[in-house]
Amino acid sequence: MTDNSTTGSGPGGSLKTYNVSQDLCGGLFLIAVSAFFYWKAYPLPLGSLRAMGPGMLPVTIAVMLAIGGIILVLIGLRNGSARQETWHLRGPFFVLGGVIVFALLIRTAGLAVAGPASMVFASLGSEEFYWKESIIFSICMTIGCILLFKTALQLPIPIFTFF
Amino acid sequence: MDLVTNLTHGFGVALSLQNLGLCFVGCMVGTLIGVLPGVGPVATIAMLLPITFGLPPVGALIMLAGIYYGAQYGGSTTAILVNIPGEATSVVTTLDGHQMAKQGRAGIALGVAAIGSFFAGCVATVFIAALAQPLTKLAQLFGPAEYFSLMVMGLVFSTVLARGSIFKAILMVLLGLLLATVGTDLETGQERMTLGIQQLSDGIDFAPLAMGIFGFSEIVKNLENPEARDVVRNKIGRLLPGWEDIKQCVMPVLRGTFIGGLLGILPGSGAVLGPFASYAVEKKVAKDPSRFGKGAIEGVAGPESANNAGAQTSFIPLLTLGIPPNAVMALMVGAMTIHGIIPGPQVMTKNPDLFWGMIASMWIGNLMLVIINLPMVGMWVKLLKVPYRMMFPAIGIFCCIGIYSINNSSEDVLFTAFFGFVGYVLLKFGFEPAPMLLGFVLGKLMEEKLRQALILSRGSFSTFIERPVSLGLLIMAVLILLLALMPSFSKQREEVFTE
Repeated sequence: MTDNSTTGSGPGGSLKTYNVSQDLCGGLFLIAVSAFFYWKAYPLPLGSLRAMGPGMLPVTIAVMLAIGGIILVLIGLRNGSARQETWHLRGPFFVLGGVIVFALLIRTAGLAVAGPASMVFASLGSEEFYWKESIIFSICMTIGCILLFKTALQLPIPIFTFF
Repeated sequence: MDLVTNLTHGFGVALSLQNLGLCFVGCMVGTLIGVLPGVGPVATIAMLLPITFGLPPVGALIMLAGIYYGAQYGGSTTAILVNIPGEATSVVTTLDGHQMAKQGRAGIALGVAAIGSFFAGCVATVFIAALAQPLTKLAQLFGPAEYFSLMVMGLVFSTVLARGSIFKAILMVLLGLLLATVGTDLETGQERMTLGIQQLSDGIDFAPLAMGIFGFSEIVKNLENPEARDVVRNKIGRLLPGWEDIKQCVMPVLRGTFIGGLLGILPGSGAVLGPFASYAVEKKVAKDPSRFGKGAIEGVAGPESANNAGAQTSFIPLLTLGIPPNAVMALMVGAMTIHGIIPGPQVMTKNPDLFWGMIASMWIGNLMLVIINLPMVGMWVKLLKVPYRMMFPAIGIFCCIGIYSINNSSEDVLFTAFFGFVGYVLLKFGFEPAPMLLGFVLGKLMEEKLRQALILSRGSFSTFIERPVSLGLLIMAVLILLLALMPSFSKQREEVFTE
């Protein structure tokens, strides 16, 4: 986040806040989202109330959401509204990154590679991380998953695609 | 009597060896996954959905229902033993349940929760069976306008029941509705806002959305608050409550069952309110309210019964009207559709085996939970002692495999990561994700009904007010909203949620 931070961000204390209103940020976020949807829905034919076109509802809802976002910004500008919590990068980056690693490897390399790779990557998201433990644990878990999902349940998951 | 013959028929289906086995496996696996901290029923069902694909429809749904109850019960176990609620409905259980556990009465808390849930389950099963037919008849009188108004009412409910600001909850509903419009337009076949991504032409899939928002953003959140875990180190102790405990619990269980069952029928995650309402009632009724929060057994018995009763009666809107009242039921819709069943009033007449079999299996599932869980508590405790740094990658890999297997699509896994990020952003801005998910769940159906209603009325919105049932539903929605916004009520609402 590029908001002017006073307390600084850092892992640990989730109670730390930026000196900016949470509702203000939330409102701006919703305005941005609705603007995006409006931009994408704008070319679709609106139709009439009697026979609604594909664009009618998305455009209407996007406008309503934008108005709501503006009201939320105004609420956020009042004094004494709750401050924005700080953002953390480590947790989301590694945990969600692990999911992406899985998605990229499952087809190309198979579960035998995707499993350990994504689990070790995700483990980095925790502050307590030990290489050895993580690698051994992820390999054992992957073997368990292969036995459970492939052997027992016979789901069509690629295990190892290099053969 | 109709009810008896129907239930007998249902038990005939559910008691076949195969279905009994599936119900057992479902309860077992559901509890196993549901016990993991931070994994609620939604994530559990999304994760385990693929294992039911190869089964016949009746068996698959019986197993899914078993998974659902198992996940619910697993959530309560975690709430009592670790003080982490798996989902919103077991938040209340952490208050007194975990205190009981700290006093060395964890076994009794678990026992009471199981017995209370079983009793609530028995009542709710009969309740569903009795209500199903009249409601199905009612549903056949519903036109598009009534359906639309009913869903509006459901969404209003969900905003009132969400934690935090009602205004923000309404915005989340709108965001959910907006997300639901992505995909091919139902009538013209035109692609809407798909950004040229082929997977989006059928709309955003519910499972990746739910898994991202309820599964992965939960993990990220838990990693930020590492101190919240507090596994009980005391002995679990005796499981079966003594006579004194039972006497104390009878009334709370009855009240909880009644409250939870009634609220569960409401469209719009009414089931979430049950435990909160039950806890508030028990505290009001109690001779010495100060015991609550310090290990009062009524504070476990009442909410747990309400929780289970609500979990079961929330099947009613789905089975009779075809409207999923919460995220779990939306996953059930997905599961039914995969097996070629369209949920709604016609299920009862077209698939009586499925309908009554599932209702009967609800009772069997509840019985099994008591039988499986009480002896296995020791195992759950061991599982819960695994440190979170090892637990969360394991949860993650299960989620990934589950999502991948639903459509054999690695793109779905990418979507899950994306929605996990969205969920994290929403959490940080103080938005409650539950109303958004319900908006998304009902969005497509609402649009369809709105369009149909407006075609029938030649583009006039007055159709929603001129038809008496529709008008009644809308008035109800407005009343609920006004009530919730009234200062005295909103104060109470805040109290209920902050407890």
